[in-house]
Amino acid sequence: MSQFPAPRFATALAVEAYKLRRSLALLLAAVAPLLIAVFVFFNLLRADKGAPWAISLQTSAAIWAFFMLPMSVTALTALVAHTEHGPRAWDHLRALPVPRWHLYAGKAACVLGVVAAMSLWLALLTLLAVETAGVIKPAVAAIGAPDIAGYLALLGRIFLAAWLLVAVQLWIALRHASFVPALAVGIGGTFFAVVATSAKVGAVLPWQIPVNQLATDPLRVQFTLALGCIGGCAVFAAMLWRLSQREVLG
Amino acid sequence: MPSAIETEGLTRRFGNRVAVDDVTMTVPERSIYGFLGRNGAGKTTTIKLLLGLLRADAGTARIAGIDIATDRLRAARRIGALLEAQGFYPNLSGHENLDLTRRLLGLPASEIDRVLDVAEMTAHGRRRVADYSLGMRQRLGLARAMLGAPPVLVLDEPTNGLDPEGIADMRGFLRELPARSGATVLLSSHLLGEIEQTATHIGILSHGRLVLEGALADLKAGLAMEVAVETDTPERALLVAREHGFDVARDEAMRDRGVVVARFAAGEDVREATSALNRVLCIAGGVRIHALAPRQRSLETLYRNAALSAAPAAA
Repeated sequence: MSQFPAPRFATALAVEAYKLRRSLALLLAAVAPLLIAVFVFFNLLRADKGAPWAISLQTSAAIWAFFMLPMSVTALTALVAHTEHGPRAWDHLRALPVPRWHLYAGKAACVLGVVAAMSLWLALLTLLAVETAGVIKPAVAAIGAPDIAGYLALLGRIFLAAWLLVAVQLWIALRHASFVPALAVGIGGTFFAVVATSAKVGAVLPWQIPVNQLATDPLRVQFTLALGCIGGCAVFAAMLWRLSQREVLG
Repeated sequence: MPSAIETEGLTRRFGNRVAVDDVTMTVPERSIYGFLGRNGAGKTTTIKLLLGLLRADAGTARIAGIDIATDRLRAARRIGALLEAQGFYPNLSGHENLDLTRRLLGLPASEIDRVLDVAEMTAHGRRRVADYSLGMRQRLGLARAMLGAPPVLVLDEPTNGLDPEGIADMRGFLRELPARSGATVLLSSHLLGEIEQTATHIGILSHGRLVLEGALADLKAGLAMEVAVETDTPERALLVAREHGFDVARDEAMRDRGVVVARFAAGEDVREATSALNRVLCIAGGVRIHALAPRQRSLETLYRNAALSAAPAAA
């Protein structure tokens, strides 16, 4: 056996992506952005006249950052963690000659990759929804040209700001075999993010940090972006260290 | 004979409870080592210590000479495991499940076909694991444990949940495993029959302590031989035999059939002693004997003796 090379971190990441085949996590990743696009589409069809592209793109990004992203991250991290919790696969994985932090880092990178893909999928679907609505009902066709670069940049900032949220939710989901703690924290966090939208403390609440990328105050945007991204890295690092040290007693 | 697995004073506590207590065991290379003990005796905890899934409070464990605590990655490359919780991804096929582990181990893709063939699972490799029977999952677990041909295989209760046919099938497969794969097999079970028909060596764990270990044939040879005597007058048979110095007792399990059991020390010429017993009972005692048959030295007796000898100390 020793003639074969030691696997690299990239392998652990590829293996995590492999596990998503035919999984509920992948279905969720496909459906959640689709729901927003469907909403944007029917919302446009209800109107009498067309609006600038920016309105539809802003609406899509706002729904994503405000509600759908925190809820999707909650469900996605729980489902991804359950890939191992469900069949009790941790013992098998942790007995392999692979550095344990690779296993958890692979999972974290995979979840971030899926969230990034969901953001791009949302962008594509939103553009398609607005175009399709204009074709079906020309009166509501979007005015002007879409600022695709600006829209992607906004979704990119929302994604980076969500790292802290992803790290917190993933840690809880990996730590507890039951769905309950991860879902309770995720639903609770999203609830407070929604009902306390204008609260100052919202700038540091992981579930509300992404939506702050839509704020008009540039300082708030930069602060929450830095907090979400750097804070996320710090929590990911702590998670990797803690979970790698942990014994699996179950 | 060199050792595939060696532990020395291995100890693990959970709070005040000592789950594994000063276990020193030696598993010879290319043996099938039956690791016996009732549920809760500490078998799974010992296996988790051998795999580096738990940290020992004291003692050492070496796999193929490598200390699992100080060099886990190198030791883990020499051990493949089938654990009680199999840990398969039901949304993936058997082939895909093996492919995941194969990639993590950095092995060539051809390894999958090799282990599927050894486990006789080639025909089912493309089916989703969700559609597998329990026996097929166990075989797939064996295939996964054999990826990369590790010199040591640890199998935790591989017949758990299998039907009688599946157990017989698995037993035959396990017996051939060292020859097929060249591996040493540590086979954990609480089923004596399974171990007796499969293992070359045994270790018996009781209350976390290893109370007996050795080659099964040697241990059995060291057991007292028993001869069962079936008679109409068991009380008289007992009286006469004892008067002539035989070690006899009623067989409580066969009391209704009037069976008396005579025990002969290990090493005693049993044929000679049985003839003597026959002469004493028939001629001197006038006891009418229906049957007189030597009993096989069994693992059950070994296990019972070992567990009984351990019980007072553990209490």
